[in-house]
Amino acid sequence: MATKDAEAKEPEPADIIRPILNTSMKWYAAIGILSAVALAWLAAFGFQLQEGLIVTNLADWGSGGGVTWGLYIGAFIWWVGIAHGGIILSAAVRLFGMTKYQPVARMAELLTLTALSMSGLYIVVHMGRPDRLVTSVVNAYPWTVQSSPLAWDVTVITLYFVMTATYIALTLRYDTYQLRDRLPDILDPLYRVVLIGYSEKEDEVIERMAWWLALGIIVMAPLLLHGGVIPWLFSLIPSMPGWDGAIQGPQFLSIALTSALAGLIVISYTTRIAYDWEHIFTDSVIRGLTNWLGIFSLMFVWLQLQQIINGLFAAHVRPEVVMTAKLSNTIYQMAMVTMFLALAYIFAQAVKPSVFSRHLSLVAALGVLVATLSEKILFVFEGLAYPEFGLYDQVPGHYSPSLVELSSVAGTVALCTLMYMVIMKLFPIIELHSVEDHDDDHDNEEVSA
Amino acid sequence: MSADDAKDTNEEPTHPYETEDSFHPLGAEWEENMRSELEDTEFDADLGMEMARDAQRLVAGELSEEEFYAEYHEDMEDEFDVDERPVFDDIDDVDLDKAEDESMFEALTDVDIENEDVSRREMMKKMGAGAAFLGYGAYATYDSQKEQEEVPQQVSGIRPAEEDGREHRWGMVIDLERCDGCLSCVTGCINENGTSTGANWMYVFTYDNHDTEQQNFLVRPCQHCSNAPCAKVCPVRARHVRSKDGLVLTDYEICIGCRYCQVACPYGVNYFQWGEPDVPMEELEHLDMRPEDVRSLDEDERHTKLSEANDHVYDDRGRWTDSRPPKGVMGKCTMCPSRQDEHTDNEKGTVACMDACDEAGMSAIHFGDLDDEESRPNTYLERRKEIEESPKEKNKKFEDPEEYEQPPAPHPKSQLSTFRLLEDLNTQPNITYIGNEPGPHASETPEERPVHYEALSNDWGVNVVAERKEHLDYGARANDDNTPGEEEGEA
Ligand code: SF4
Ligand code: SF4
Ligand code: SF4
Repeated sequence: MATKDAEAKEPEPADIIRPILNTSMKWYAAIGILSAVALAWLAAFGFQLQEGLIVTNLADWGSGGGVTWGLYIGAFIWWVGIAHGGIILSAAVRLFGMTKYQPVARMAELLTLTALSMSGLYIVVHMGRPDRLVTSVVNAYPWTVQSSPLAWDVTVITLYFVMTATYIALTLRYDTYQLRDRLPDILDPLYRVVLIGYSEKEDEVIERMAWWLALGIIVMAPLLLHGGVIPWLFSLIPSMPGWDGAIQGPQFLSIALTSALAGLIVISYTTRIAYDWEHIFTDSVIRGLTNWLGIFSLMFVWLQLQQIINGLFAAHVRPEVVMTAKLSNTIYQMAMVTMFLALAYIFAQAVKPSVFSRHLSLVAALGVLVATLSEKILFVFEGLAYPEFGLYDQVPGHYSPSLVELSSVAGTVALCTLMYMVIMKLFPIIELHSVEDHDDDHDNEEVSA
Repeated sequence: MSADDAKDTNEEPTHPYETEDSFHPLGAEWEENMRSELEDTEFDADLGMEMARDAQRLVAGELSEEEFYAEYHEDMEDEFDVDERPVFDDIDDVDLDKAEDESMFEALTDVDIENEDVSRREMMKKMGAGAAFLGYGAYATYDSQKEQEEVPQQVSGIRPAEEDGREHRWGMVIDLERCDGCLSCVTGCINENGTSTGANWMYVFTYDNHDTEQQNFLVRPCQHCSNAPCAKVCPVRARHVRSKDGLVLTDYEICIGCRYCQVACPYGVNYFQWGEPDVPMEELEHLDMRPEDVRSLDEDERHTKLSEANDHVYDDRGRWTDSRPPKGVMGKCTMCPSRQDEHTDNEKGTVACMDACDEAGMSAIHFGDLDDEESRPNTYLERRKEIEESPKEKNKKFEDPEEYEQPPAPHPKSQLSTFRLLEDLNTQPNITYIGNEPGPHASETPEERPVHYEALSNDWGVNVVAERKEHLDYGARANDDNTPGEEEGEA
C-alpha cells in the first residue's frame, strides 16, 4: 500500500492533543473567514426579523401560488440528518467494537452536537414569531405533544441533544484526567468542571454506560429523528401526495446516514492535513468510510427509485403528477447524476483499489452532501407545489430561494465549522482509548499514558 | 346475524351520535377495527357498536342506566337467544354506585345470574370480547378526556364538543349552481376583515371540468373542519377548534408562525402574514385594551365592553382571533366570530361573504347552524332537494328527452348533487356544496373569470390580486436587492 509509511507510525496521545497546543496562522485565518460569513448571514437574519418573512421567496400555497415551506425546512431536515447519522455511526463503532473507526467516533458525536444546533437554529429562523417560541410551546406542550408532529420533533431534538452531550461529557472525563498535565493551564477551570467528582474507578462504569447509551441509540434509530419523527412531519400529511407514504421513514434514514458519512469524510480529510494525522486517519480508514458511503448512497438511490416507480406506474392522478414533476426537475436530475457519479467512483475503487484516492473521496463526499441537501429542499417544495387538491395547479407557482434564504446555508455551515473548530481547541476530539489500544492493525506494543 | 336488529337500530336517524363522525374517542379507525373484530364473531356487529356508542353516552351522563338497559333489553334477547332474561330483569341488583367506579361492563356482570342457564362467563363471551373492549376502552378514554378539559384557559381543544355539549355547529351550504363568479363575497370578506393584498380568505375558482365545456365555479372559504388537521398539527394550539360552536380559529397572540397548519390543510385556505399587514390595527374597529386585560374581565363585563366598541378583533373569550392577523402569524377565514358572539352591529348567524352574496342578488352562500334543522343552510338544502325531486322541475333539465335513449327514470330519493370537498381525507368539512364536484382533471381557467380579482375595490383601498406570490416577491424586492423585472411578465 502506498501509505505503508504513514501507517507504520504509531498514533500517540501527543497526536491527539496537538490541535489544543498548537494554533497556526491558518486556524486564525479560517476563523476569520468563517466568522465573516456567519456574521453576514446573521445580519441577513436580523433583516428578516425586522421585515418579516416577506424577505424570503416563500408564499402561501394554494391561490397564493407559492410554497410556504422551502429552503429553511429542507436545510433543517438536512442538518438533523447529519446529526442523526453521526450519532448512529458513533454508536455502531462502540457497540460493534469497530476499532478501526474508533478515531472517528467522537468526531461523529461532535458533528451530531454541532449539526443539531444548526437544525435548532433553523427552527428559529423558519418561524414567523421566534420571540414566542418558548412561551407558546411550553404553555401548550402537554396537549400538543399528543397530536402535533412538530411538538414531537422539538422533543426528540432536545432529547438527542442532551443524550449526545451526556455521552460526550462522560467519555471526555477519562481523557481529560489522563491528559490533564499536558493540557494548557489556561483552560484549567474548564477541565476542573469536567472532572468534578472523577475517580479512576468510574472508568469501567462509564464504559458500560456509554455502551448502553449506544445500544439505546441504535435501537431507537428507526423511531426517532430521521427514522421517525422527522419523516412523520411529512408522511402523516395525506393531502400532499409527494410526502405521503411509509417509504419516507427508510428514505430519510438512508439520507441521514449518507450525509453523515460524507460529513465525516470531509472532516477527517481536513483534520488529517491540518494536524498531520496521516497515521490516524489512514488511507485505509478513509477508504473504509468511502465504502460505507457507497452502501448508504445506494440505499438512498434505491429508495428514490421505489418512490418514483410507485408514483409513475398506474398510480392515482396526483402522485403521478408529483413524480412526473420531480423527475423532470433539473435540480433533481443534477442531484441524481451526482449520486450516480459518486457511486460509480466508490464502486470502481472497491473493485480496483488503485482507483482510490482520498481526494476523489473528498469530492464524492462533497457531491453527496450537495445532492442530499438539494433533494431535501426539493422534497419540501414539490410536496407543497402538487397537493391532492389539484385545482390550484393553474396558479403559476415558482420558488427559488431568496438571497436571505440562500445566505442561511452558508451561514450555518460557517457557524457549524466554527463551533467545531473551537471545541477542537478545548478537548481532544479523538478518543485517548483509540490511540492507547490501537491494536487491530498493529501488534499491540507501546501503550503510553 | 339478525337483520331485524340492524334495522331496528337504523331506525333512529336522530341519534345524536349517529349522524356525527366517529363516536369513539380514539377515532374512526379504531372504531372500524373494533367493528371488523365484532363482525368476525357470530354476533351482530351493529348492535355491538350501538351498545358501545351508548355505553359512552352512559358514562358521559347523557343516558341514564335505566334507559340504557331498557334500550338493549330486547335486542340482547334476540341476539343471544336467552329464553329467560334474568340478566336484565335483575336490573335493580346492579350496584349503581359501583358502576361509577368500574366499567359499565364489569357492573353489568355483577348481576346475579348464577341461577340461570347462562353463566356469567358465557354471557361475557356472547357479548363479544370486542364489544366489551370497545366499551371499556371508551370509558377509560372518556375519563382521560375529562382531565384534558381542565386545561389552562389559553389552551383549547381540537374538536368541537359533541352535539349535546355545544351551542351550534356553524357551517355553510353553498349552491354552486347559483354562483355566477361575481366575486362579491371576496370583497365582502375583505371589507369585513381588512386582509392584505392576495390573502383571499374567500376565493372563487373558475374552472373547466375536462369532459364538459361548461364553466364552473367553486366558492372556497375555510371548510371549518370538525376533524381539522390544521388544529391537530399546530405545535402551540394557536390553531384550535372552539368547542362551543366548532369554529376553527387561530389565536394571533400564541401563533409562532411555523405554518404547519397551512401545510396540513388539504384545501389551501391559509394565508400567512409575511410582512406588515396592509390595514393597520388602528383602522380596525376594536376594543382598545390589551388582550390579557380583555381576558381578565368577567364574561358579562367583557361582552358589554366589546359590544360598546363594536369590536371586531376579539371573540367572547377575549382571545384575539378575528380580522386580519398581525405580522408573522397565520390567518384564514374565521366565519366571523365577533358576529357569532354578538358584539358587532351585525346579526348573529350571518357572515360578511353571505351578506355580500345576498346583496348581489345571488344568494349562493347559506351560512348558519348546521345542528339546527330550521337554520338557513338546512332549510335551503331541504328545499333544493324537494325541487330537484319534483318531476316537473326535473324534466326542465332535460329539455330534449329524445336525445336520451331512455328517459331519466324517476328516482325515489333526491338526486340533487351535493358534495363536500376531499371527503375521504376524513377532515369532516362543514361546508356542503350543491352542484358538481370538480373532477380529478379539472383545471382552473383564470382568463375566463367573469370578474377579475384585480378589478375589485374595497373599503380599505387595499389592492386585490388572485395570485399573491408576485405581490410578495415584489414586497421582498422592494426591501431586498433582488434583480427587478424578472417576474413582471405575468399578470
Ligand atoms: S379547511 Fe383547512 S384550515 Fe380550514 S379547518 Fe379545514 S383544515 Fe383547517
Ligand atoms: S402557523 Fe401558527 S397556527 Fe399555524 S400551526 Fe404554526 S403556530 Fe399553529
Ligand atoms: S365567513 Fe367571514 S371570514 Fe369567512 S370568508 Fe366569509 S366573510 Fe370571510
